[in-house]
Amino acid sequence: MAPNARPRSILESLGEEIIRIITPVSLCMLLVVILVSVLNTDSSSSYSASATSIATIAYSESSSDSSWDKFLGALLNSLVFVAVVTLVTFLLVLLFYFRCTKFLKYYMGFSSFVVLGFMGGEIAVFLIEKYSIPIDCITFLVVLFNFAVVGVLAVFMTKIAIIVTQGYLVLIGMLVAYWFTLLPEWTTWVLLVAMALYDLAAVLLPVGPLRLLVELAISRDEDIPALVYEARPVNGNDSGSTGGVPQRRVWRDRRGEDSVNGSNHNSNGNSVSGENVNPESNSILNATAVPDSDSDSNSVVIGHTDTSLVRAEEGRVPERDAELSAPLIGGRMNIPPHQPEDDASGESLMLEGIGLGSSGAIKLGLGDFIFYSVLVGRAAMYDFMTVYACYLAIIAGLGVTLMLLALYQKALPALPVSIALGVLFYLLTRFLLEVFVVQCSFNLLMF
Amino acid sequence: MTIAAGIGYALLALGPSLSLFVSVISKKPFLILTVLSSTLLWLISLIVLSGLWRGFLPLNSTTWWPYGLLLFTSIAFQEGLRLLFWRVYRRLEDLLDAFADKVSKPRLFMTDKMQISLAGGLGHGVAHAVFFCLSLLTPAFGPATFFVDRCSQIPFFLVSAIIALAFVTIHTFSMVIAFNGYAEGNKMDQLFVPVVHLAAGLVTLVNFASGGCIVSIPLLYFIAILTLIYCGKMVWRRLTEHQSTQGNS
Repeated sequence: MAPNARPRSILESLGEEIIRIITPVSLCMLLVVILVSVLNTDSSSSYSASATSIATIAYSESSSDSSWDKFLGALLNSLVFVAVVTLVTFLLVLLFYFRCTKFLKYYMGFSSFVVLGFMGGEIAVFLIEKYSIPIDCITFLVVLFNFAVVGVLAVFMTKIAIIVTQGYLVLIGMLVAYWFTLLPEWTTWVLLVAMALYDLAAVLLPVGPLRLLVELAISRDEDIPALVYEARPVNGNDSGSTGGVPQRRVWRDRRGEDSVNGSNHNSNGNSVSGENVNPESNSILNATAVPDSDSDSNSVVIGHTDTSLVRAEEGRVPERDAELSAPLIGGRMNIPPHQPEDDASGESLMLEGIGLGSSGAIKLGLGDFIFYSVLVGRAAMYDFMTVYACYLAIIAGLGVTLMLLALYQKALPALPVSIALGVLFYLLTRFLLEVFVVQCSFNLLMF
Repeated sequence: MTIAAGIGYALLALGPSLSLFVSVISKKPFLILTVLSSTLLWLISLIVLSGLWRGFLPLNSTTWWPYGLLLFTSIAFQEGLRLLFWRVYRRLEDLLDAFADKVSKPRLFMTDKMQISLAGGLGHGVAHAVFFCLSLLTPAFGPATFFVDRCSQIPFFLVSAIIALAFVTIHTFSMVIAFNGYAEGNKMDQLFVPVVHLAAGLVTLVNFASGGCIVSIPLLYFIAILTLIYCGKMVWRRLTEHQSTQGNS
């Protein structure tokens, strides 16, 4: 007789945090692909010609140039762009160092407003034009203004329902990504690769601006003012955590590498002070410990390790349950506990290798959303087969990055692996797979 | 084709998998990850195959034997990959069990294992449908539609959607059969899967004859239903055996 009240198996909840971060990334990519396929079918050339921005300042691609010229021009563009981004990131580090956090926060709010209001408005106008939606200026303006203001509030204040905040962040990511896809083709690809390399350098090199930023933030135990997407903590402590119990950011007491930092993406896009997507919003992958320590509920938490990836500094360590975490990936078994107070430290991580504590919410910088979506959007401009292939590649890259994060326990850039896989799969699909599949399909030969 | 028709074709190919996804898989995040990874694996196998065959394409579309060779190599490769997938899954299963012990939860139930293999199979099936059917569908929205000479009664997209549906079924359930066969060491199950895959592939070769799809599609569905029934019987058998051992112990 099968037992009716069966104990819940681990399969019920394993991997939930990863899904909670993959879902918004996928949603953002889907929205960008839809926008691209709807809006770009007829007007590819005209819009890209008019999209002058910092990214095309050095060279404007025209279809009559040879491949080599295009490549050189794209390289030049990307170098300029990366240089600008580096400068702005250093500026940000400087500002943060001088504790101008108020200024940064206001700037963040201002940029969100500009992105939602102006970029969103322009895209809305394109859509209205395309579908001949009957709407008058005043209504449009009022609606747009309200939309943008609510967005700013959602991004700023933590008291707003998290789903609204998450929704707005995804929208902001989508809007900026769409504008990036308007750049000429070669420039976009070389830019993506350049940004991935920059990310790698900025996070891993000792003089990298992002690393400095994170170290500063850790040493002061402050929040980095950034546009960061935060996945709901799995415990259901979400609304409570932000409202009632103060969010504690627990950093590792090593050199603060728990965040996966990404490139700073202060893209001075277009007419907009596009940077809104501010600095280091780019792929900062963080696990914030939601103060579960107070509730200190142990093993009942289903399958989750209470120990977060981010560890507390001396005393604040959660008296987490030692037995809760289990390294899933073999090698992880013997992480030496770095923090003396923390027995649970050894385990931690590895909830199937991505290892973030249940009570920790995963944070992913908005820049990651944007560049992933740019890649997929660009792939959509060629064909849908590349879209599916690139989507899978990016998700795989994200998974690998999360795993590496759990493995190395230090700040890792989230862009390189995904972008590398994405570009690789794009090229392979475009030049190899498509011919093969079309050949087989048209002869109705399938396997 | 129109948007309505396009959505219809897409749902034809992927409808059952969508309902399977929503009812069984979406509730367990780990299964969603399994689907994604097995889709990726299938895509990689397809890319490798296309890399291998790229030099020989485009093949002469009147003779069928180069295609036969192509099919044979592709299916052999994919079955080999299934074995690899099984190995990885074994490792994963051990890790999961160790993890379950650590968090003092029960180890993986038999139904859990079957669900994981179902998710793996679904990933393969969805990958097939997406790359062979959907990716040709989505750019073709617009006023006209397309017919293939050899099967000229119905639009190409409809034919490919129907064939994709059969293959989705075959892929999804043969993974369950295969994993069960490897777990139990049952030679019959282990042989059943590659044979069925090969048979299904070869049946599509019949499409080369003019009007061949009238013959091949029912055959294909026969194979799909066979797989479904075999899988159902196998699962039923295992579940009842398991029940009886549970009841006895």
